[in-house]
Amino acid sequence: MKIETTDPVSHPELISYCRCTINLKTGAQKIEHVPCKNLEDVLGGFGRSFQMLAELDIDTAYCEENPIIINTGLLTGSSAMTGLRTYFSSYSPIKGSKAGKPAAMWSAGSGKFGAKFKWAGLDEIILHGRADKPLYIEITEGSDGPLIQLKPAENLIGLSTHDKVMTLYKDYDNAHFAAIGQAGENWENNYAGSVALSTVNQLKTGEDKLRFAGRGGMGSMMGYKNVVALVAQSEDKLKPITEAVKNVHTQVIKGGGAARLQPIKRGGGGGTWAAYDVMQPFHAVPVNNYRPQGNDLPEKLFRENVEKEFDIQSAACFRCGITCHNYISEKNPDGSRGDFIAKFDYEPLNLLGTNIGIHDARQAGKLIYLCDNYGMDAISIGVTVSYALAYNERHPDKPLFNGAHFGDYEKIYELISGAGEGKLPGIGKGSMRLSEQTGETDYAYHIKGLELAAYLPETNPGYCWAIAGGHMSMGSYGTLIRDGKSDVDSWVDVITQDKLHIVGFDMIGLCKFFDITQGIGTQMVVDCLKSDFNLEIDPAAIKAAVRRSFLLGLALEFRQGYTKSEYCLPAEVYKDPNPNIKLPNVSSPEFMAELADKVWEVFEKELNGILPNCK
Amino acid sequence: MSKSNIDITVSLHGVLRINKFKLEQRTYPANTRVEKVIDELQIPVKLLGIIIINGVHANATDILNNGDTLMLLPLLEGG
Ligand code: SF4
Repeated sequence: MKIETTDPVSHPELISYCRCTINLKTGAQKIEHVPCKNLEDVLGGFGRSFQMLAELDIDTAYCEENPIIINTGLLTGSSAMTGLRTYFSSYSPIKGSKAGKPAAMWSAGSGKFGAKFKWAGLDEIILHGRADKPLYIEITEGSDGPLIQLKPAENLIGLSTHDKVMTLYKDYDNAHFAAIGQAGENWENNYAGSVALSTVNQLKTGEDKLRFAGRGGMGSMMGYKNVVALVAQSEDKLKPITEAVKNVHTQVIKGGGAARLQPIKRGGGGGTWAAYDVMQPFHAVPVNNYRPQGNDLPEKLFRENVEKEFDIQSAACFRCGITCHNYISEKNPDGSRGDFIAKFDYEPLNLLGTNIGIHDARQAGKLIYLCDNYGMDAISIGVTVSYALAYNERHPDKPLFNGAHFGDYEKIYELISGAGEGKLPGIGKGSMRLSEQTGETDYAYHIKGLELAAYLPETNPGYCWAIAGGHMSMGSYGTLIRDGKSDVDSWVDVITQDKLHIVGFDMIGLCKFFDITQGIGTQMVVDCLKSDFNLEIDPAAIKAAVRRSFLLGLALEFRQGYTKSEYCLPAEVYKDPNPNIKLPNVSSPEFMAELADKVWEVFEKELNGILPNCK
Repeated sequence: MSKSNIDITVSLHGVLRINKFKLEQRTYPANTRVEKVIDELQIPVKLLGIIIINGVHANATDILNNGDTLMLLPLLEGG
C-alpha cells in the first residue's frame, strides 16, 4: 500500500493499493496502484472485494466473467500478531440461492503466504477469464514493484495440496505457497474445493501442516480457472515491533478469547478443540448429523481421552502467540512423538469425527488428513457426508452411494476420497443439492446453501444472517451457551449490532482470535495502525466500515435471488425438536418468526440503495 | 449438614478439571456466593467462562442454596 495521509477516513484516495489484473485467457496483465474509494478499500479483504463483486452481474459461478479476487488486509504482513490472512473472493459454486444464482463469498486463511504476498509488493490479484492449460502464478519482488508470471503447472496436476506445496518449495527459497488439491481440479464434480496455505511448520518438517481458506469452494473456482497454485517469494519485511504493538500483543495473549486457546502448559485452555468440553455438558456437541443423543459419546474425542494414546503438540502460525491449533501424532512406545497424523481444530474434528459417528481419534485424524490433502472444505464435505449417513439410516433398504452408515470408517473414507477425486458429485456438490435430489431436505444442515459449522442450529439462530458461513461471519455461536441469552430482544441485538462485527477480521488481515469479543473497532487495532502506518483513526469509523461491508454482503444475497424464507434453520430443528439438548429453546417457529421480523426491521432500512449498478 | 451450612455439588469441566475433580459434594456456610467457591478451588479467572446453577446461567455473585448443583466451565470462543 502507498500511504500518503494520516487520515484514511477523510482521505482514502491518498492511500492506494497495488493490484495486478490478469486475463488468464490471453495472459495479459496490468499492475497498477489503485486509489482507495473508502475506508473499506483501505482495510481490504472482503470489504474491498465485495465492492467489486457487487458491480458484476453473475448468474453462474463457473463462467469466465466471474473473477477470483485474491487479496490481503491492511494488517497482513504487519507487526500485529495474527496479521497473516489471505482472502479469496468470488461468486461461489457451492453457496447459492434457491433461485439458482451463486452467492458472493469469501474465504480466509492464515499460514505465511499472505505476508509474503504483501512483502513482494502486492495487495491484490484479480483473475479474469480462464486459462487453457494448468498454470501457477509466480509473484516475486522486482526493483520497481512486484513481478508476476504465469508458469506451466502440468507437473502439479493430480498432486495433493501438500505435495503441490512441497514440489514448488524445491524450486523457491524464501517463498510461501497457496495451492488447491485434486478436489479443486475436479471442480465440475466438487464445489467444495479449498485453498491450502503453506506454513513455516509445514516447510520445516515436510509434514502436511497447512492452513486453509476452506469455505465457499474457492479452490474449485481456482480449479475452474486452471490456476492450481500461487507462489509468493520475498524477503521477510517485518517492521520492528514498537512498544505500543508489544502492549497490544500482551493484551491479545492475556485477553479472554485467546486465553482459552493458549496451550495448557501455558495456563490456557488448549486450542479450539476445547469447545468440546464446554458444549458437551449441555449435550450440544453435534453428533450423527447434528442430533446429540444425550449420552457421553462425544467425550471419546475430549482431549483428556485422546492424549492417553496420542502425542499432542500445540501449534501456531508464524509469530503467533495464540497457538490455536494442535498437531496429533502417534506416541512411540517410549512416549516420544511418532508419525504425524493430522491437525486438530474444533470444526474439522467434530464434523469429520463425532458428527459422522467416528469417535476414534486416529480415524478422525485420517479423515481430516484426507480432506486437507484433497483440498476440500472439511465443513461442507463433513456435513454432506453426515447428511448421506442420516439418509442411509432412514433408508436402509435403498441407501445412497456405498450404503455407509454412521461410524463406518472404511465406507466414509471411500465417500470422502470419492468426492476428492471428483467421482462422487453427490457428496462434492454439497448437502443442498444432494438433499434436493433425494427430496428430503429437512435434515440437510445448511443455510443458504452453505453447510453449518460445528455448532448446533438450536444454539445459534444467528446462523441465518451469517453472510459467509456460520461461525466466521456471525459471531453468535456462544450467545446461548456462553452468555445464557434466550430472549428475542437480546438475540436481535447480538445479530444486528455486536456479533456481525466478526467480519471485520476478514477485512483487515487479522484472525478473529485477536479480539473475538470486540471485533476490530478497538484501541488495539487503532494502536497497530498508528504504529505500522502512522494512521490516525477512530474505532467508531472502523466499526462503521465493517457494518457497511456486512450490509453490502446481505444486499448482495438479495441481488442473487435469496428470499427472506431462506434465512431459516434446517427444518428438522422445528419439526422434530431434539429433547436431549439441555438449553433454553431459541429455535422454535414462534421465536424464529419474531426474531426474523425484528432483525429485518433493523437491517432493511439500511439495505436501501447500498448496491451499485451492475456493469 | 449443620443448619448454618449448605451442601452443594460442584462439577468442573475441561481444563478447569486439571489436578482437581469432575464432580464433588462440598459443604459451605449458608449464603456462600459462587465467587467463594471459585476462589477456594483456585479456578483461573481468565479461563472461567460459564457458571451454571441447577442448569441455569448464573453469576459469580449469586448466592448458593442447599442442594444446588454448580457447574463451572471454560470459555467458549469459537472454533
Ligand atoms: S490465531 Fe491460529 S490461525 Fe490465526 S495466526 Fe494464530 S495460530 Fe494461526
